[in-house]
Amino acid sequence: MTVADSRERAARRTARRRSRIPTLFGLAGGLIVGILVCGAVFAPWLAPYDPTERVARPFLFPSSEHLLGTNDIGQDLLSEMIFGARVSLTIGIVAAAVALLIGTTVGVVAGYYPKRLGSAMMRGVDVILILPFLPLLIVLAAYLGRSLLNTILVIGVLIWAEPARIIRSQVLSLRSREYVLAARSMGAPDRWTILRHIVPRTGLLATGSFVRAVSNAILLEAALSFLGLGDPIQKSWGSTLFWAQSRGAFLTPAWKWWVLPPGLLIMLASLGFALIAFSLEERINPRL
Amino acid sequence: MRRRLDVRRLTQYGVVVVVAVTLNFLLPRLMPGNPLVLIAGVDVGLLSPDERAEIVARVGLDVPLWKQYLRYWGDIFTGDFGYSFRSSRPIVDMIWDRLPWTLLITGLSLIVSAVAGVILGAISAWRRGTKTDLGMLSGMISIESLPSFWLGMLLISIFAVQWGLLPSSHAVTPASGLAGWAHMWDIVSHAILPVVTLSILATPGVYMTMRYSMLETLGEDYIRTARAKGAGERRVLFGHVARNTIAPVVTVLALRIGFAFGGTVIVETVFTYPGLGRLVFEAVSGRDYPVMQAAFLVFTAAVLVANLAADLLYPLIDPRTRTS
Repeated sequence: MTVADSRERAARRTARRRSRIPTLFGLAGGLIVGILVCGAVFAPWLAPYDPTERVARPFLFPSSEHLLGTNDIGQDLLSEMIFGARVSLTIGIVAAAVALLIGTTVGVVAGYYPKRLGSAMMRGVDVILILPFLPLLIVLAAYLGRSLLNTILVIGVLIWAEPARIIRSQVLSLRSREYVLAARSMGAPDRWTILRHIVPRTGLLATGSFVRAVSNAILLEAALSFLGLGDPIQKSWGSTLFWAQSRGAFLTPAWKWWVLPPGLLIMLASLGFALIAFSLEERINPRL
Repeated sequence: MRRRLDVRRLTQYGVVVVVAVTLNFLLPRLMPGNPLVLIAGVDVGLLSPDERAEIVARVGLDVPLWKQYLRYWGDIFTGDFGYSFRSSRPIVDMIWDRLPWTLLITGLSLIVSAVAGVILGAISAWRRGTKTDLGMLSGMISIESLPSFWLGMLLISIFAVQWGLLPSSHAVTPASGLAGWAHMWDIVSHAILPVVTLSILATPGVYMTMRYSMLETLGEDYIRTARAKGAGERRVLFGHVARNTIAPVVTVLALRIGFAFGGTVIVETVFTYPGLGRLVFEAVSGRDYPVMQAAFLVFTAAVLVANLAADLLYPLIDPRTRTS
């Protein structure tokens, strides 16, 4: 076997693996997200108790009746985890949808009119990207007050800048394609060209940024809830951790069933969406 | 991502400052409810009309909005951030007390994450497509999905509570009377867990940049040329790849300083570490709005300094930008 032979083989092996990583990540992400979404949808059937009811003594250790024990006011922690999926996932997905809506609008307009309007808009986007993200999020949330809607809005209006940038660069290249030029030269109005020829072509990229935004939004919601800025009535995984922290659960053996599970779930949810996003991004723009 | 300091960038930074200050000015004044609660920290319902008018005049809410706005700028330029609602101390003093602790742990964690990220990213790119690469990549993506506060809580549960190796909170042992080396060790042992948490969280960002940047360099023609003329692997790696990869990585590192600063809000809260981030949390939970606002401006300043550093460093590292 010559050196050239082995080099070529190595190259082929690399190429094969290269194409497999995104698929592998995408499948893993899909599986994780699928399971969590099923848990959220079928929560009333899966959860052994009503998470808002005091069903036992507080601070119970795990037992066959309460697999993850109970919290400081005697609510079943396992049920709280299963119902928490509804709150955490809903906030993540809706906030990402808000971000995508703003991001796509800004991205498409800025890309289609790249001269004055577009460059002015993108300077605005750059300014938003420079502002210290987390402190701004906290300041806004503190002024707006604690509610589900406010959490969604605050996260949504702060994470649209990245999608806007990605979509704009796609639109910039689309607008000089032949079919777009053809449509414009035949006098098609801008609105029609944008809706008929531009927006549909940003679909895959927009999906990628949406999934990435869901992954971020889930983490941000958890952080806000943990700081005590989440909705006091709707209990997400982050709020469970807020209570675990304020009751000092992580200083006792209770951390294993009160701190570990909600954090793992947040991580899994965020990771699931991040893996899907990664595999979509690699498909659109292979960097591996 | 080539960077250079020019008029456009400086204008941009100016705009960022204006936006941050204006947001600070407008938010408490535009929120629903009485701005007195947000600006003077008093319970409006308990005041007589006279007292109320007196407070309105004292905090300057009786003049037109634009005059208030100008006065606000004047205060900021003279370094007057007002007083805390809770402790009645000048906010500037509170910030100076807290800043060194935040600088200590962010500074250390940046060094650790930079070294770890660059080394792991280089290995990953050099072995692209192998099991090593796959393992590192999925590990880093998983770390990016970690809730930062949860990581901190776990480290406390394991290292401070379960094994009792390290302290779980504060920056020094309160009223210990330690001095000299014992005092130094006290500070170090308190900083270890927060620094480890911040370092773990900051590594994936550096790793990803290093890996992508190096993969890009590896695909360049001059690398193929170097290989073709018979340069050894070591020569290719250090002489050609490393030198061309380092510039974007340094930029990302400089920009991370700003981000790492903001991230301390959560990590310092978990560890009850007396830095600027913990101050933000205390201000938020105590509805101490002026403190929260001042801290936000300090974070903005930190991000801008980091950006400036990136602009100034880049041409030094990457000579290609100097001519253009």
